[in-house]
Amino acid sequence: MATVMAATAAERAVLEEEFRWLLHDEVHAVLKQLQDILKEASLRFTLPGSGTEGPAKQENFILGSCGTDQVKGVLTLQGDALSQADVNLKMPRNNQLLHFAFREDKQWKLQQIQDARNHVSQAIYLLTSRDESYQFKTGAEVLKLMDAVMLQLTRARNRLTTPATLTLPEIAASGLTRMFAPALPSDLLVNVYINLNKLCLTVYQLHALQPNSTKNFRPAGGAVLHSPGAMFEWGSQRLEVSHVHKVECVIPWLNDALVYFTVSLQLCQQLKDKISVFSSYWSYRPF
Amino acid sequence: MRTSLQAVALWGHKAPPHSITAIMITDDQRTIVTGSQEGQLCLWNLSHELKISAKELLFGHSASVTCLARARDFSKQPYIVSAAENGEMCVWNVTSGQCVEKATLPYRHTAICYYHCSFRMTGEGWLLCCGEYQDVLIIDAKTLAVVHSFRSSQFPDWINCMCIVHSVRIQEDSLLVVSVAGELKVWDLSSSINGIQEKRDVYEKESKFLGSLNCQTIRFCTYTERLLLVVFSKCWKVYDYCDFSLLLTEVSRNGQFFAGGEMIAAHRLLIWTEDGHSYIYQLLNSGLSKSLYPADGRVLKESIYPHLLCSTSVQENKSRPFVMGYMNERKEPFYKVLFSGEVSGRITLWHIPDVPVSKFDGSPREIPVTTTWTLQDNFDKHDAVSQSIIDYFSGLKDGAGTAVVTSSEYIPSLDKLICGCEDGTIIITQALNAAKARLLEGGSLVKDSPPHKVLKGHHQSVTSLLYPHGLSSKLDQSWMLSGDLDSCVILWDIVTEEILHKFFLEAGAVTSLLMSPEKFKLRGEQIICCVCSDHSVALLHLEGKSCLLRARKHLFPVRMIKWHPVENFLIVGCADDSVYIWEIETGTLERHETGERARIILNCCDDSQLVKSVLPIASETLKHKSIEQRSSSPYQLGPLPCPSLQVESSCKVADAKFCPRPFNVLPVKTKWSNVGFHILLFDLENLVELLLPTPLSDVDSSSSFYGSEVLRRAKSTVEKKTLTLRKSKTACGPLSAEAQAKPITESLSQGDTIKFSEENDGIKRQKKMKISKKMQPKPSRKVDASLTVDTAKLFLSCLLPWGVDKDLDYLCIKHLNILKLQGPISLGLASNEDHFSLMLPGWDVCNTEMIKDYSGVNLFSRKVLDLSDKYRATLPDQVGIPRGLENNCDSLQESNTIVYLLSRLFLVNKLVNMPLELACRVGRLQDGNDVSDVWCTLGKLTDFCSFRMECAHNKVRSAGNDILNMSSFYGCSRNGKNESHVPEADLSLLKLISCWRDQSVQVTEAIQAVLLAEVQQHMKCLGKIPVNSQPVSMAENGNCEMKQMLPKLEWTEELELQCIRNTLPLQTPVSPVKHDSNSNSANFQDVEDMPDRCVLEESESPGEPRHHSWIAKVCPCKVS
Repeated sequence: MATVMAATAAERAVLEEEFRWLLHDEVHAVLKQLQDILKEASLRFTLPGSGTEGPAKQENFILGSCGTDQVKGVLTLQGDALSQADVNLKMPRNNQLLHFAFREDKQWKLQQIQDARNHVSQAIYLLTSRDESYQFKTGAEVLKLMDAVMLQLTRARNRLTTPATLTLPEIAASGLTRMFAPALPSDLLVNVYINLNKLCLTVYQLHALQPNSTKNFRPAGGAVLHSPGAMFEWGSQRLEVSHVHKVECVIPWLNDALVYFTVSLQLCQQLKDKISVFSSYWSYRPF
Repeated sequence: MRTSLQAVALWGHKAPPHSITAIMITDDQRTIVTGSQEGQLCLWNLSHELKISAKELLFGHSASVTCLARARDFSKQPYIVSAAENGEMCVWNVTSGQCVEKATLPYRHTAICYYHCSFRMTGEGWLLCCGEYQDVLIIDAKTLAVVHSFRSSQFPDWINCMCIVHSVRIQEDSLLVVSVAGELKVWDLSSSINGIQEKRDVYEKESKFLGSLNCQTIRFCTYTERLLLVVFSKCWKVYDYCDFSLLLTEVSRNGQFFAGGEMIAAHRLLIWTEDGHSYIYQLLNSGLSKSLYPADGRVLKESIYPHLLCSTSVQENKSRPFVMGYMNERKEPFYKVLFSGEVSGRITLWHIPDVPVSKFDGSPREIPVTTTWTLQDNFDKHDAVSQSIIDYFSGLKDGAGTAVVTSSEYIPSLDKLICGCEDGTIIITQALNAAKARLLEGGSLVKDSPPHKVLKGHHQSVTSLLYPHGLSSKLDQSWMLSGDLDSCVILWDIVTEEILHKFFLEAGAVTSLLMSPEKFKLRGEQIICCVCSDHSVALLHLEGKSCLLRARKHLFPVRMIKWHPVENFLIVGCADDSVYIWEIETGTLERHETGERARIILNCCDDSQLVKSVLPIASETLKHKSIEQRSSSPYQLGPLPCPSLQVESSCKVADAKFCPRPFNVLPVKTKWSNVGFHILLFDLENLVELLLPTPLSDVDSSSSFYGSEVLRRAKSTVEKKTLTLRKSKTACGPLSAEAQAKPITESLSQGDTIKFSEENDGIKRQKKMKISKKMQPKPSRKVDASLTVDTAKLFLSCLLPWGVDKDLDYLCIKHLNILKLQGPISLGLASNEDHFSLMLPGWDVCNTEMIKDYSGVNLFSRKVLDLSDKYRATLPDQVGIPRGLENNCDSLQESNTIVYLLSRLFLVNKLVNMPLELACRVGRLQDGNDVSDVWCTLGKLTDFCSFRMECAHNKVRSAGNDILNMSSFYGCSRNGKNESHVPEADLSLLKLISCWRDQSVQVTEAIQAVLLAEVQQHMKCLGKIPVNSQPVSMAENGNCEMKQMLPKLEWTEELELQCIRNTLPLQTPVSPVKHDSNSNSANFQDVEDMPDRCVLEESESPGEPRHHSWIAKVCPCKVS
């Protein structure tokens, strides 16, 4: 062992030099790169305070499905909020066309986008607080910073990729059903969420179960998308989902944001790996 | 951790890393609490002279701590709440270090405020929380359940910070918050309490956009009740609370980030930055504004400007960010303190003068640092007690310099501790001896220190170890695997100390070694999986000495390894939630999935192996859990919440043959560094259990004599307690839980009871027999009788308050043959299965109430002495530890004394722990009923295994439990004993201990107090020292006198008795009933010894040795 240690003495000096360079130069370069990417990502979310003050611009998305065109929706997204929504529903039985829209005065916050946006800005804040003037003294410091940043980024990504699993009563109770101007008929439920890069709208058609029905009543658990036949109790009524319509539309900037998240996560991990390589040479000290 | 498990931490030279993320000082200014990125909380003692010393580490969170707050009115209950990154919340008692309540909610809090309004609220108050979710959550401070939330009608967003404003003027409490978007919102607090309690939505009263982002703090000036300080990362602003008009904005200079602030007096404020600086400003009215009248006719707004008075700074900006706080106490002897915690773990305090002034020339004055301290300082200061477990041996090895242990593994079956060192050597020692050498005085005098083995083969530090036989009995007992930094894995024969094979993986450092589960085999062999630091995974086949697969495509650290036995797949889960599926035979990457699919794949395979070293802190607690699981599962009847991500396969294997061991070593690794330490676990219950049968099975009759004396005494205790149980039962009337038990025990006539008991007994026995047939032969538990005794001695050494009384120390060494401690030990205290605290080196100086002389003494607290005195006062004068034969250095006597002491400690431990257990264990109502049932009829060992899991619903019930458990220990003697030989004092002792429990005396304190008292008593009986004992009332000494009068006679009788007992038939249906009836009626009067003895002898007939069946019964049910 002693020989190993001695033989590497010169090597160690070189390594130390390289490590110093890593801490002082390379880390900041990566942090700068990360910041740039995340700023770009946050621009997509039209972060307030990111230079473009004032009302965020409105984007219209036409939601449809490749199969039947029983449901069509036009949703207007303003930053993280749905400002307008027009939903057309062709009733399967009588081909009667139903139309309902958001009330003028109301907006519906898309919690997923807001959370993702906030996570990104947290990550940016973490990065900006260590600007070029800040000198990293140990590798562990960088690792901890990277862990914190990665945590925020992972959460931002997960917020978009994993929509909330809601039970039917939760959907019924949500404020979204009360947003519409001609109030939603009692046999309809509506849910809006983000799944990956897509804005999704689901419309559930319900029918009441007869109290003396022979069907054994089993309330459905939480799910992103309930299937026909799911049952639940709402008020004093037992209801069953008869039809489910799901329409969606890709939001291009969400796609970009997800790519940015993935890229920056990889950058973070690469930086961590670089630091860890050196850490193994100085295992006796908290590198 | 089980309650009977006592933990002793063996710290190394290096303090565990503690990157402070949250800091607070308790209201009494006695304790600093810090939360760390590693997940632990640290309690620091703050003396009156503002000296800091670390006291204990609290383990429980598996993720970074995000915030700390007071959780009660501190003067009533010293509780604080901590929240972690992963949604865990814990309420801790900072005086005892115990976790009082815990919950995991799907919310990540970044700030918590305690709110209690005594005249409008029932319960313990609310925790107002904000964090990475919309608006403000209201959580019940007692149950940690979500009560409701404060909703915002406009711009709902995450909340960054908040403060509660209590205005005396308008008699209304308000909640002020600032959202991440910079929106100030105000909710009425006190007037909306009712609404919240009725779950109505409460919306904000006012809201105002402040125009800045990243708000750090909002503070209301309680002195003027007018100003509002809002600190953003890039500026701080002062608002008028009346109309939220902006009075002042101060922008940060030279790139500093503000981190917080506080109003410290009227028009005086303190602002601190993220890099550890702070500034005290005086707000001055500018004369200019007086002349400036607003043109639009609004009320005059005076404009103010800040004047810098003082500043503080740290010596060098070591590590960002700093978390700081300010504590303002006006009443003496409290200080105005500014405190900060760093990522490096350093705490710094500044004493802020009551009236901060600038220098004469007007320039700001620098306030010097008052104190600064780190965990490492504690370790350096108390060097003697902070040595690693291996130091003694490594010291022997090369004389100078001690090796840094980089990985370690404990093999319970061999009691070996394997330590991989930083220099590449591997040291294998007998764990108990290593612990003794480390803890006890005269380490070099540990005569029988067996030769430790040193394996040399690695050139780099050893990063991971695996003992395959511990996971699967099919593998060779002598094999051991070690992996090093150079990604070299060596297969050792630990018996011959040979290298069997070297695998060169050509990858990163080997971070962990895992073994495939038993059902997964390749070519008839289980295979080894090596996870390396470059995220690669390699599979090794030990028999074939070949490397099967090198999987190198993972971009992120490996978090999970799963095995697919049918299709021969290795499924690797990475940190970015992606999954790689490798075909083992061909070594090709079969699939790579991310997102939802990956999640489904990971969920569908049940066999998962968590890569430990990737998540060291989490796994550390999990390891604890698994230990707990392993050792407690034999007793387990109800479903135990199983930690989802443990190395389950290995766990199961271990379960199959795991015999709870009295002694265990738990290596602990820490995150972001290779600092590790060890925890010694003593299972008190198991110790007593292992020690007790020994005297009975011994051929030596004299030893059984002593044993039986112990038993009898303990049993009498038990019996007495039954009486109390009965009495209180009748007193408190039928409890729901007892509904079943009562009729059986009380309404049935005696004859019925007999039948019942007979049947019950018979059935149970049959069952047990069946089980025992099914089970494998019981594990050899007597292999190391000496080991058990040694463990017991070490345990007693750890608990004895060495140094309190020099004479006593001497006598203990002489008569108990135990060694003195080198210094105060770091005891662990478990509050439930995964929350525990460990004392840090130097905790002893933290006991502020401790007399100076007692520092450096292993005295857990000053209270112990008082408790001990009280206990001794109740202790009967003579009925002490079994003693007799004049040669009191006799090893038999010594061991019996130890047994007696341990059983006492166990009882105390059980008694004091009861309420905790009540709190933790819910359900098992059925068995709760069974307790008294079984007690009355069988009343012995049969349900020894079940008592633990049973829930006791009240104290009476718990007492029942306890009795059962004690009785089960002494079950051997139960049948024979239906005489009552109960000193009144025992009852009062029990009362005393129960009383301690109510006075929230800590378990450790109680145990030590009892131990001290018992030892003093014992030593006194030896007639060597006059212990300063209180006069003992002679009234209760009837028994003792008799004993003194007829000692010889009694001994011989006992002797006979013992012989008989040893040859008791398997079934003695009469005696338990006898006993039962006696205990119901007659026992309470002091029945004479002699007549009963006769009854006893009549009732028993010679037959097979009893103890065998006893063991046979106990063991299978424990293995089951």
